[in-house]
Amino acid sequence: MRVLVVDDSSTMRKIIANALKKVGCDEVIEAGNGQEGLQQLTSSAVDLVVTDWNMPVMNGLEFVRELRGLASCASVPVLMVTTNAETADVSGAKDAGVNDYVVKPFTPDTLKDKISAVMKK
Amino acid sequence: MMTPETAGRDLTVAMETIIIPRLAEATNEVFETMVLKTLAAGEPMRDKRQPTANVVGAIRFLGSLSGTVSFYSSDAAAREIAGALLGIAPEDANNEVPDAVGEITNMIAGALRGKLAQAGEHLMITPPSVTRGSDFMAQHFNVAARVLYPFKMDDHEVFVEIILQST
Repeated sequence: MRVLVVDDSSTMRKIIANALKKVGCDEVIEAGNGQEGLQQLTSSAVDLVVTDWNMPVMNGLEFVRELRGLASCASVPVLMVTTNAETADVSGAKDAGVNDYVVKPFTPDTLKDKISAVMKK
Repeated sequence: MMTPETAGRDLTVAMETIIIPRLAEATNEVFETMVLKTLAAGEPMRDKRQPTANVVGAIRFLGSLSGTVSFYSSDAAAREIAGALLGIAPEDANNEVPDAVGEITNMIAGALRGKLAQAGEHLMITPPSVTRGSDFMAQHFNVAARVLYPFKMDDHEVFVEIILQST
C-alpha cells in the first residue's frame, strides 16, 4: 500500500507514518503542504491520502478540492488529521471530499482504526 | 482600535470565566494522549512573571477573541516531549525539538479552540512559530489580559501562556 502523508509538521508526518506501518503500509511518501502534495500525486499514484488542514502555501481543504479534480484521484480515500474539531469544520471537510476525519490529539489506536476503516470503504 | 468582535468586551472576565477553566483540561488532554504523560497543574499566575525557557512555541488566534497561545519549556523538557512523540530517546531528539514543540503548541491551541467553540467562542488559529535559544524574551502589545499556567511534567516545569489582545 502506498500512502501520501501531507502535513507541515515533520513530527506529525512521522507519527502518522508509524501508525501506517502498524496497519501494513509499506510505502509512505511525504509532503509539507497541499501544493507539494499535488506535485507528488501528479507523478505517482497512491492508495490513500492522509492530510492535515492548517498548512502554509496550500491548506488541506484546498488540497483535497484540487485532488478531487484529478481523474487519477477521484476515488482515492482521504483521511484528514487536524485540530479543527468544530461541527462546521467536519462538515466543510466532508463537502470538500474528505472521507473520514481524525481530531488531534488522538491515540495511536484511534488513528490505526480510522486508517483501517477508510481503506475498507 | 478594537475589532468589532472584541469591542466592548471585558477581556479580563473572558479570561477568568471562559479560558482559564478550559486551559488545564486542554493541555492535559494533549499530553496524556500524545506524550503519554499526566501533567500536574499549578496555580495560574496573573502577574508579569516570565517563565525561564529555551523553547517557546506560539500560535495566534483570531475571532470572537484575539491573542496568542504560547508554550514554554526547557530544552531538556522539550527533548522529552519530542522523544515521546516520535518514539525515540530524548537524548536523540535534538533536531526534532522545534517541530515537536510547534506541534504540541498547535494541539494545545486546537484543543482549547474546540472547548471554546462549545462555549460559543469561534476562533481561527495560525500555524505555530517556534523560538529556541537562550537570553530572549517574548513581548506582546495591546495586552488586555494575560495568564501564565505552570505545569509539572515529571521533574520538569512547562508553562502555557494565554494573551488576550484588545486589537
